[in-house]
Amino acid sequence: MTRVSMTVDGVSYDDDVEPRTLLVHHLRERLGKVGTVVGCDTSNCGACTVMLAGKSVKSCSVLAVQADGADVTTVEGLAGRDGELHPVQQAFHESHALQCGYCTPGMIMAAVDLLSENPDPSDGEVREGLEGNLCRCTGYQNIVRAVRDAAASMRGTVPTAQEPAAEASAASTASTASTASSPGEPASQGVTT
Amino acid sequence: MTRETTQGTSRAPAHTGVVGRSLPADDAAAIVAGDLEYVTDRRVDGMLHGAVHRSAHPHARIVSVDTARAASEPGVVAVLTAGDVPCNQLGTDSENGAVLAGDVVRQVGEAIALVAAADPETARRAADLIEVGYEPLPVVDGPDSPAPVTVHPRGNVAGTLTFESGDVATALSSSDLVVDVDTTTSAQEHVAIETPGGMAEWDLGKITVWCGSQNPGLHRKLVAHALRLNLDDVRLVSNPVGGAFGSRNDDPAPVYLALLAWHTTRPVHLHLSRRETIVAGPKRHPYRTRVRLGFDRAGTLRAIDSRAVADTGPYVTAGRNVLKTSAELSSGPYAAPNARFDGTVAYSNNANAGAFRGFGAPQVAFALETAVSEAAVELGLDPVQIRRANLTRPGDAHSLYGHTVSRSLRASQTLDAAAAHPWWRDRDAWAAGSAGPWRRGTGIAMAIKGVGMGSGKGDTARARLIVSATGTVNIWAGPNHTGQAIGTAYRQIAADTLGIDHDRIRVHVGDSELVPESGATAASRSMYAGGSAVHQVCGRLRAVLDEPGVDTGASFDDVAAHLVASGRAEYEAEFVLPDVDDIGRIPPEALADYAPHAVYGCSAQVVRLEVNTLTGEIRLHGVVCAVDAGVAVNPGATVGQAEGGVAQGVGFALFEEYRLDAGVPVTTSLENYLIPTAMDVPPIETVLVTGHENTGPFGAKGMSEVVVVPTAPAIAAAVGSATGFWPRHLPMTPERVRAGLSAMSGEGTSERSGRRSAAERARTRARPENMSAEPAEGAS
Repeated sequence: MTRVSMTVDGVSYDDDVEPRTLLVHHLRERLGKVGTVVGCDTSNCGACTVMLAGKSVKSCSVLAVQADGADVTTVEGLAGRDGELHPVQQAFHESHALQCGYCTPGMIMAAVDLLSENPDPSDGEVREGLEGNLCRCTGYQNIVRAVRDAAASMRGTVPTAQEPAAEASAASTASTASTASSPGEPASQGVTT
Repeated sequence: MTRETTQGTSRAPAHTGVVGRSLPADDAAAIVAGDLEYVTDRRVDGMLHGAVHRSAHPHARIVSVDTARAASEPGVVAVLTAGDVPCNQLGTDSENGAVLAGDVVRQVGEAIALVAAADPETARRAADLIEVGYEPLPVVDGPDSPAPVTVHPRGNVAGTLTFESGDVATALSSSDLVVDVDTTTSAQEHVAIETPGGMAEWDLGKITVWCGSQNPGLHRKLVAHALRLNLDDVRLVSNPVGGAFGSRNDDPAPVYLALLAWHTTRPVHLHLSRRETIVAGPKRHPYRTRVRLGFDRAGTLRAIDSRAVADTGPYVTAGRNVLKTSAELSSGPYAAPNARFDGTVAYSNNANAGAFRGFGAPQVAFALETAVSEAAVELGLDPVQIRRANLTRPGDAHSLYGHTVSRSLRASQTLDAAAAHPWWRDRDAWAAGSAGPWRRGTGIAMAIKGVGMGSGKGDTARARLIVSATGTVNIWAGPNHTGQAIGTAYRQIAADTLGIDHDRIRVHVGDSELVPESGATAASRSMYAGGSAVHQVCGRLRAVLDEPGVDTGASFDDVAAHLVASGRAEYEAEFVLPDVDDIGRIPPEALADYAPHAVYGCSAQVVRLEVNTLTGEIRLHGVVCAVDAGVAVNPGATVGQAEGGVAQGVGFALFEEYRLDAGVPVTTSLENYLIPTAMDVPPIETVLVTGHENTGPFGAKGMSEVVVVPTAPAIAAAVGSATGFWPRHLPMTPERVRAGLSAMSGEGTSERSGRRSAAERARTRARPENMSAEPAEGAS
């Protein structure tokens, strides 16, 4: 057993851990931080991404003892003290940038790190920055849009050169849905021959 | 409270509809905060941890199972083998497989023993200490295997389905053009990011299992059957869950959990690793599909002849129904006076195959759409024009079965919506920008997919509603939510049916104890069937609200209190999916055997890409996904489903191939089984085609599967347009594309090139009827 001290989401913890313990297992099993999840056993999926000393890491590829003395932020510690969501969390929430949500904590943490390095990334830079985080539900389109929306919000501006795809899908969504969705629409509208 | 009262007073007159609005998913706020507790996050004090010992052999007799060393490990509480399962069968068909293999293993990764221990490390270590003696048997490594043994005593054929309308042989022999396409598609792994697992508790003679499931009702039956329990003594709580896509349809994890908790009488936690999920979990069925299409010179389709062989692995779960879907969709959206399907689902010692989004459609659609695209080239017709000219019109008879095709089908509008996009219109300019080894191309393809389990199945969804005295409307409904925001959509439907604010409505899904049996989150049925049941149950309450003197215009709080006081606060409803109006050529007594659909969704997709002719690499530049979903109840969620479906189609087309070598898995992790990353999926533009399904809630119908289907054939068509090489085998890896390009340039034309000479076309026509028994070139 080795003594480790770390601050996780603003709270200090001192624990005895086996040297082989992975940071993600320490967070989940010892500290109860189950908001950070595990999706693979080969460090490919990125679902376990957290911030360690200000940089994003896959917490399945770091030992708990390597985090000794460090400051760790998980998705559970990202919101403000008053519960106000981080702009990246807010954008994921609003932009349908999640479905089952299992990859979302890691995706959000990777995006936060990406934006700290590049506050105004292009679509391509967002895709490159999130390449280590797998999502099986969304097709990434709304994730890219959310990260760019969050970037704009954090810069205090409107999004620049928004990806045409996102704009187009949002626009077509709004227009087609609004014409099609009135309840009690006559049956004949459903038929074209 | 003030807020609620305000909402209450603003009831019916001020209620603005929420159907058609992109509300965030109900659980989205908890998800982004890391607060959502998935089933595998569940923990209680004193719980044990489970682990599974799995077969190392693809096919072997079990000679001995020695659990002594495992059982004597400190911390181990139980080691269970076949003899410990009261009824050692997954379901009622022995060919569905055992809970724990006792005599024979038929797949690497098949479960042989379960361990419960004080901590996960001890459980896994103990599982490794179990010693199994094997007597290896010859391996049946595919439908064409020459192995001198069969997987099951009754043989290697799990099921067949044949049907013919008209006279296909005569029609083909008299056609001006016969396009013959022989394809293979690979086993695809779901890779839901949360691997299977959860927790189970045995308490007061009753078992509760928290485990992801697309079909809590079925899982409840599987658990009750294996443990010989009364169905009412089994409860499945099946969400929150991290993705499904078909993988949680009949996954055995809930049975393992229940068995461990029942034996130990303690709470047990089990969370499978990614490796064992990939090795032991179900796959999309690998198929070999040969399609022959006969056309006249003008491009009118005369005949569709489709033959398919599916490899279902060692046990049949969904396999026969997958083949059924393939049969129905073997003619796609097209009208042909002559059509034939001849399909077999075969056992092997390969991966166990089951349900996967699309359910037998993507495999046959790849062959069919490729053949249509190639016919367009041969006939000098535009790929959109040849499709449009041959579409089955709404209300017409289905090519194979002759049943009535639903009037809400928007196939031509969907095709036109995709073709109207600049990425299709400007395809010549795109191609003209080819430079160096990178050749640019654009492709289009389409597909339909039935909604629900099909005619003759009695497919039913139910809903229960209770108004609380405090003005909340609680609704218990199914199918379950596995990531589609289906509960949110139910809430939108309820709000607009009742004319009250959606914040007053709470929807509960996925708990078999509380939700009336509503079937599976499958077959594109959740919105259509579950939404319809919600619509109906709310309609009952609405009818009461509309009675004179009930809704006095007071706040809904007061109305609710009145309903509770007068015993009119509880309602139930069920929605039985309609059967087809006219069953066509299907014998009435065999309707469920073919299960044709009354309602279809449609998607047409355009792909723009580049192919490197030196390396075979494909770079996608964009996908247009037009989708006919009827009315989109939650357009944001609908578009999300479309984009996610396209991404899975991209994986199926370009990367994903679960490989085995003589039954031994090769691609056992996400390091060598690759799914698309954010860099691999191009920008996707989704177009929701305006439509209205009259039998669906607010005009909605299902769409989540059909969007997976056209992606691969559209990519293949784009490769064909860029290079003249028409891929026949999925995934289109650089190696396969490079080999195909070489074969084409080496011999001028080859079987795998769409640009055939007249002589070769003649040879094609003269080819014998029977599908060759040899594996297709490039298949692995």
